[in-house]
Amino acid sequence: MVKVFILICVIIISGCSKQETTSPDETTPSTIDTTLVIGLIPERNIFNQIERYEPITGYVAEKTGVNIKLKVLTRYGNIIDNFVSAGLDGAFFGSFTYTLAHAKLGVEVLARPQYIDGTSTYHGLIFVRRDSGIKTVKEMKGKIFAFVDKATTAGYLVPLFYFKEHGIDNYRTYFKETYFTGTHQDAIYDVLNKKADIGAAKNTVYRRLADVDKRITKELVILEEFLDVPENGLAVRKDLDVSIKNNLKEALLNMHNDPAGKSALRDFGAEKFIETTDNDYANVYKYTKEINLDLATYDYINE
Amino acid sequence: MKKKIIIGLSIFSLIFLLAGIYIITTIETATAKLDNLITLHQVEILREHLLINIKRVQSDLNLKSTRFARSIDTVILNVRNMEKMADKCFECHHSEDVLERLSELRNDIDKYKDALSRVFTIRANTGRLKAEEDSAFRTGENLITKVNNMISIASSKLEKKTQSALGNIADTKTVLYILLAIGPPLAAGIAFIFMRGFTRQVNVLLEATRSLKEGNLDYRIEGLKDEFEEVAASFNNMAASLKEQMYKMQRTEQMVVLGELAAGLAHEIKNPLTGIKLSMEVLSEKTFTSEEDREFILKIIDEIKRIDSLIKSLLKFARPPKPNLAVSDLNEILNDTVTFSLKHPSLSSKTSTSINVLKHFDKSLPELMADPMQLQQVFLNLLLNAIDTMQDGGTLFVKTSYDAGENTVQIEISDTGKGIDENAIDKIFQPFFTTKPKGTGLGLAITKRLIEQHGGAISAENNPGGGATFKISLPVKKEGKNL
Ligand SMILES: Nc1ncnc2c1ncn2[C@@H]1O[C@H](COP(=O)(O)OP(=O)(O)OP(=O)(O)O)[C@@H](O)[C@H]1O
Ligand SMILES: [Mg+2]
Repeated sequence: MVKVFILICVIIISGCSKQETTSPDETTPSTIDTTLVIGLIPERNIFNQIERYEPITGYVAEKTGVNIKLKVLTRYGNIIDNFVSAGLDGAFFGSFTYTLAHAKLGVEVLARPQYIDGTSTYHGLIFVRRDSGIKTVKEMKGKIFAFVDKATTAGYLVPLFYFKEHGIDNYRTYFKETYFTGTHQDAIYDVLNKKADIGAAKNTVYRRLADVDKRITKELVILEEFLDVPENGLAVRKDLDVSIKNNLKEALLNMHNDPAGKSALRDFGAEKFIETTDNDYANVYKYTKEINLDLATYDYINE
Repeated sequence: MKKKIIIGLSIFSLIFLLAGIYIITTIETATAKLDNLITLHQVEILREHLLINIKRVQSDLNLKSTRFARSIDTVILNVRNMEKMADKCFECHHSEDVLERLSELRNDIDKYKDALSRVFTIRANTGRLKAEEDSAFRTGENLITKVNNMISIASSKLEKKTQSALGNIADTKTVLYILLAIGPPLAAGIAFIFMRGFTRQVNVLLEATRSLKEGNLDYRIEGLKDEFEEVAASFNNMAASLKEQMYKMQRTEQMVVLGELAAGLAHEIKNPLTGIKLSMEVLSEKTFTSEEDREFILKIIDEIKRIDSLIKSLLKFARPPKPNLAVSDLNEILNDTVTFSLKHPSLSSKTSTSINVLKHFDKSLPELMADPMQLQQVFLNLLLNAIDTMQDGGTLFVKTSYDAGENTVQIEISDTGKGIDENAIDKIFQPFFTTKPKGTGLGLAITKRLIEQHGGAISAENNPGGGATFKISLPVKKEGKNL
């Protein structure tokens, strides 16, 4: 009986390692005990984030033999604090948080998802209620503006660029009130539900919500669209073991070739992971330069 | 009786079977109900768990901005647990309205989640923050009220269900007790009724045999049923036949005594009678006897002859000679006797010529062992009686036949005469019964004796169209076999 059990184990293990021959690193990782803590930004309902990312990280963990623990963060900017304080090894960064983290901590981006509709980028939007009558920046004066987070491209960086472009020197005085909703979704809904007059958010979230809530297309109107920036991608701390780093990257980039990986991708809503480098964030850098923002010293804490 | 026992047993086992089925099904339903109750209670526990989870999340929310705030990881864990608990409810509930209520609950939980997520992620001025926190708190409180309501409704329902299930079980228990109480006495009762019916009939039979033993041969059993009725009938037959046999034995004994008496008497009379007869004959031949006296004397001689033949008959009846068996052809004996009887001296010539004789002899009649002389005597007696009753003429019908089934030979002698008087028909075979002025009444008695000595039987009956028929049945005895 014990022999049979061992035999079965051997077959299963050999079956697994056969699949792994696709990875460039021929040997099965020996760092079984390694646990990576991966941070998740609150791009959606924070209570759904773990569930959403679990298929991907579960697959990668199995592939690489590394334990992966997910940690949800309630603020975009938290991710940078936590990298040091909570000992994060990596995170799915938003485009702006990545550039911040890259500048402050030197994190290295590995890959980002390409969603089923083919998109691997997004861009910022500025929108108002159709019945608000707001068409230009002038009409925004004295209204309420809903940002997402100080550490988001679509939810803060591009609006700053927009304000500068339109000659608003200090948005804090130009608007009656500004605040940070925390999520793109809430920024959109706050405008829709008249909690705010103007909102800024990602186009991908906007489109996803518009698909399920007809009110969005009917009652909201987009005033401005910005340049494309990369979707939230996985970046790891710069001093992470090179082999682990490579394993993670290879596992992500090849997962669409593997049935198990494919189904995990489907659950996540992506087609595959594509290779991503610092160069892909050119547009973010462009915006920060335009508004003279120094990434290394930028205070991302929301007031 | 057999049938009754079978029916009784089947009814009894049927009752047992039904009771068994009832007990099993009630136990099954009771346990099923209990199972159901247990699951319902488990569901109740589930609901309470859900409530606890929601309350925990709500407290997370309340503590959020205090120094006792829990880490966001704990909050996320608690929210996810709350969700899991809610999802568990979907696993067992299936009825449509419950599903509807549950998905409503699920929606509320989602709303609560959204509100919570918002509270934990939003950065705004305190007014807005407070508003969001209040809204989340209210959503949570609403949820708690709803689940509380659900719990109270469900638990009141559960209480009712529990009561009714317990009531049912109690009912079942009473029924079982009743069955237990009724079953054995019922069984005993049925057994008692059966046994009583049985012993009562046996007692009647016992009583009858006792009374028979005491000599009451007229005792008859009445009012028994089923197989006992048949036994009673056999018993009654036996008693009747015992009585008849007794009677016959008595009669035979009487006859023997009478025969001895008659034989002694006849012997004593015979010699003096022979003397008288001889003297009378001598006297009649004497010349001195006048013609007138001679006629008297001849008449006296005639009467003496009659006395002589009577004595002979009496002797024959009282001490019948043993049959001298020989292979006999019955048809021939009968035919000869008919011819002889028609020429018998006792008949007037007028009578014999006016009688028409019809013979119907069975050619295939088997030969049988019998005493031909005795058979001739039998036939003669019957034929003479028949002819005697047809003084004014008529038809004499004689017939023989063979009954292969019984292996007997049947002889029938019928006439078209006056027939036998209905009152006399039982007595004609008794000795000395006669309706004729000069008859001895011994003819049929002797005939019966002889036939019975041959192992046969004789009977008489009146013809529907007038006259009488005598039937004899004789067994065909194989040669060499003694009677
Ligand atoms: N064939 C018959 N038809 C009508 N009556 C008959 C016949 N045979 C017998 N009997 C009746 O039965 C009686 C008895 O007959 P049984 O032969 O014994 O005596 P019997 O004829 O009277 O006298 P015996 O034979 O001595 O002359 C007769 O007296 C008669 O009444
Ligand atoms: Mg006679």
